[in-house]
Amino acid sequence: MTVSNSETEIIVEDPSAPPAHSPAVTHTRIVDIVVSLLLLALALVMAFDNWRTGNSWDFAGPQAGYFPFYLSIILAGACIYGIVAAGRGRGGADKPFVTRDQLRRVMQVFVPTLAFCLLTQWLGLYVASFLLVAGFMWKIGRIALWKSLLTSVLFAFIMFATFDLAFDLIMPKGPLEALFGR
Amino acid sequence: MEALGLLLHGFGVLLTWKTMTLMMVGLILGIFVGVLPGLGGPNGVAILLPLTFTMDPTSAIVMLSCIYWGALFGGAITSILFNIPGEAWSVATTFDGYPMAQQGKAAEALTAAFTSSFIGSFAAVVLITFLAPGIASFALRFGPPEFFAVYLLTFCSFVGLGREAKHKTVISMSFGLLLAGVGLDTVSGQLRMTFGWSELYRGVNFLVAVIGLFGISEILLTMEERLALRGHSARISLRVVWQVWKSLPRYWVTLLRSAAIGCWLGITPGGAIAASFMGYNLAKRFAKDKESFGKGRIEGVFAPETAAHASGTAALLPMLALGIPGSGTAAILLGGLMVWGLNPGPLLFVEHKSFVWGLIASMYLGNVVGLVIVLTTVPFFAAILRVPFSAVAPMIVVSCAVGAYAIHNAMFDIWLMLVFGVVGYVFKKIGIPLAPFTLALVLGNRAEDAFRLSMIGAGGDLGVFWSNGLVGSITTLAIVLSFWPLISGGVDRITRVFSRA
Amino acid sequence: MPNGLRELGLLASALAGCALAAPAASAWEPNKSVEIVVAAGAGGASDQMARMMQAAIQKNNLMKQPMVVSLKGGASGAEALMYMKSNDGDAHKVLIAYSLIYMLPLSAKIPFNWRELTPVSVIALDQFVLWNNTTLPHKTVKEFVAAAKAANPPFKMGGTGSKREDHVLTVFMEKLTGAKFAYLPYRSGGEAATQLVGNHTASNVNNPSENLEVWRAGQVRALCVFDKERIEYKTKVTDTQSWNDIPTCREEGLDVQYLMLRAMFLPGKVTPDQTAFYIDLFRKLVQTGDFKDYMEKQALKPVFLTGADMVKFLEVDDKLNKDLMAEAGFVAN
Repeated sequence: MTVSNSETEIIVEDPSAPPAHSPAVTHTRIVDIVVSLLLLALALVMAFDNWRTGNSWDFAGPQAGYFPFYLSIILAGACIYGIVAAGRGRGGADKPFVTRDQLRRVMQVFVPTLAFCLLTQWLGLYVASFLLVAGFMWKIGRIALWKSLLTSVLFAFIMFATFDLAFDLIMPKGPLEALFGR
Repeated sequence: MEALGLLLHGFGVLLTWKTMTLMMVGLILGIFVGVLPGLGGPNGVAILLPLTFTMDPTSAIVMLSCIYWGALFGGAITSILFNIPGEAWSVATTFDGYPMAQQGKAAEALTAAFTSSFIGSFAAVVLITFLAPGIASFALRFGPPEFFAVYLLTFCSFVGLGREAKHKTVISMSFGLLLAGVGLDTVSGQLRMTFGWSELYRGVNFLVAVIGLFGISEILLTMEERLALRGHSARISLRVVWQVWKSLPRYWVTLLRSAAIGCWLGITPGGAIAASFMGYNLAKRFAKDKESFGKGRIEGVFAPETAAHASGTAALLPMLALGIPGSGTAAILLGGLMVWGLNPGPLLFVEHKSFVWGLIASMYLGNVVGLVIVLTTVPFFAAILRVPFSAVAPMIVVSCAVGAYAIHNAMFDIWLMLVFGVVGYVFKKIGIPLAPFTLALVLGNRAEDAFRLSMIGAGGDLGVFWSNGLVGSITTLAIVLSFWPLISGGVDRITRVFSRA
Repeated sequence: MPNGLRELGLLASALAGCALAAPAASAWEPNKSVEIVVAAGAGGASDQMARMMQAAIQKNNLMKQPMVVSLKGGASGAEALMYMKSNDGDAHKVLIAYSLIYMLPLSAKIPFNWRELTPVSVIALDQFVLWNNTTLPHKTVKEFVAAAKAANPPFKMGGTGSKREDHVLTVFMEKLTGAKFAYLPYRSGGEAATQLVGNHTASNVNNPSENLEVWRAGQVRALCVFDKERIEYKTKVTDTQSWNDIPTCREEGLDVQYLMLRAMFLPGKVTPDQTAFYIDLFRKLVQTGDFKDYMEKQALKPVFLTGADMVKFLEVDDKLNKDLMAEAGFVAN
């Protein structure tokens, strides 16, 4: 990303933007059907569990499983309707769900986020956030290494000062914090 | 006059150094999240919510509501200077705001936007001030059947009035209601839908879902699109402010009309989006030279901003009084109230007077202080947009994780947030509306409990929902609303038949 | 069954006076902030107590490291129990427990047993009071019970949660008097209190702290306290009454007694040194003025038990609660 600036204009350009014509990975209608199928499966599992809990009407009102059971049935019904409607190709033209380049960019942010969540478990939130910010700025934003490191150290420290020192909020911590006895 | 006394009490609660500082911090943070791409009102409030967990409720709500005002002000900056509406309700502001900026009148447009936001919010706060004391005495009439009727009304209005494909609204809402039921059921004391998994005992937290659905998924969506920006910078001088303010009386009809529309749509669950468009369209319809709209007319900024902010503020009234959020942000504030141990609903006005009136007083003060801050600091905040997205994105991710974790100190919630991030991304792209889902998740349990408590109390007799005038009329209205499309379709057909005859 | 309840009361008061000889200063000390885990929502009795303890410990300089309150009220407190269970050996987490540790595993089949945690000390016992709305004509327990027996549809009794203390008490009142109540489980004692004020329920069995405000405002009437003796505090709370003016239910011919423990637990597998530190800490805490003021304000019954005495108390209390739950038909199979 390059940034230019004059007194009256702010322009931020995005050279890595996805080209407008990239082949579609999948189409909205297919995703629609897949999501409906997944929700249908979930609805059936929930319906079974609630049937086990008890889905009848007691002498004074419904049992614990009554509402969730019928909600599962409603959800399942709406999903089946959705699958049929999508299968018939109703609801306008079929748009691409995501193009190959878009998917690549989404993965560029999703994969680091996933890694960050994993790292938080082992290293604690503050170290993981340092790694995420530094890594993301440097690798994906192509920002100079020293700038990325400086920003991320500062960011992690401000987070620590705000949450741990000022507001007494307990965050996941790892070996580094233990070294300092926090 | 009772209102004025209570309001003075509210100011008394508010005027301490600590609260005032929190207010300033809240406003600045709010403008910040309002300007940042990929954030905005509801997400910003959701992510910053954990900061307030260790505060007392009054300080917490003052800070949070100031974040909200700040975010509303901040949204106007990006709409006018960059033609990027931060929120759906700022779309109408871009119609005339951006052309004004292009003509070199950015400062005027911004001043107009900020001033009219202020006027809109102020009108709504005055309304709240005078309606609130009445609510307190009304409050004690609410037992389980009344609560259930009100929740039913909210759900039905979503199904009946939503514009999305009906089956998608139903999917969204029933999925939300189902997830709301996970965990320990209060009425029977039984576990359900946990499959023996102890992380699920406490259920799916509404705020975790919101942070994932809106925060994480928004990052994914923003990344997918182009990140290029092109906009104008502005510096607001006292002279410009004076000129704009001097012209205000000329537009009093527009301002008044928009404020009224906003208040009405805020209290009934119509929302700020509808309000801003309605304000804009009505201003245009009543103008003498309709063609000048969309080409940089200052009235075109006044009208939608006043309406949007009046409605955003007025939405807090049903949230506090009935526990029903009139907007996304109000829903998150509602989640916050529950975390702080306050039960939103009519009884709040009885049980926590200082809290309610502190909040109302903070609306007055927050708006005045916010207006001053935003007028003086525009160049600085506009510059935030120059910070590259690759630095902002990971920081937002971290803030989301902090927010999700802090609610229960549970790592599991961070994973849940990530899952909801993906769900939100996919749902948005295939057109499943998220609003009914979040509403269902936040109100589902309370609605079910209210229903079952009513049943226990009445020995299983459904007639309890028509047992007095109050509950009966709400229940009936709810049923009418859920069949609204059928009813209005029927009425249309009948009138057509008659007109043909 | 009320006999069993009475035994508990006797045991508690017998043990209340006897403090153990203070052990020598322990070798272990926390090296980071200590988390007080609260098994209830914000603003509830446990949360208030935890915050008071946090403030009193800080103010009186009883511990070098700070204390943080951590709310884990999800699933009616089951969240806190599972959290303690999963943190074996971590002496920086201390649970403020109440009778849910016996009841929740029975009613909701939650895989938890308090014997897996390390008992530190019992710090107080909480009372239960029968309340009704002042606009109702029934001024005594006898009038109330008579009216409840005659009522059709039955009187509505509000309470916190299902198959818990309030519910159990209601069932035993039913068994003893022959009256029928429609028990309405609310999410919190506060909600039960305001619903009583709004006349949506006829009565509730809240703890004193939960109904304190509405009692002072003259909106509810205290009919009797479920203990074998009156509450000891004699300072006027309302215009006309002190806690001591509330008769016991037995005096009023309703022989039901129930007290709820407030006790501190560490996770399992901590060292004796660590336990000793906390025993010492809480012993000092209960002697502070702040703690005593709080006990009086909330009408809590002072008691301090540790070590073998505490375990003995817990075993008796556990058996009692288990029997009560079984007799009320609240044990899930």
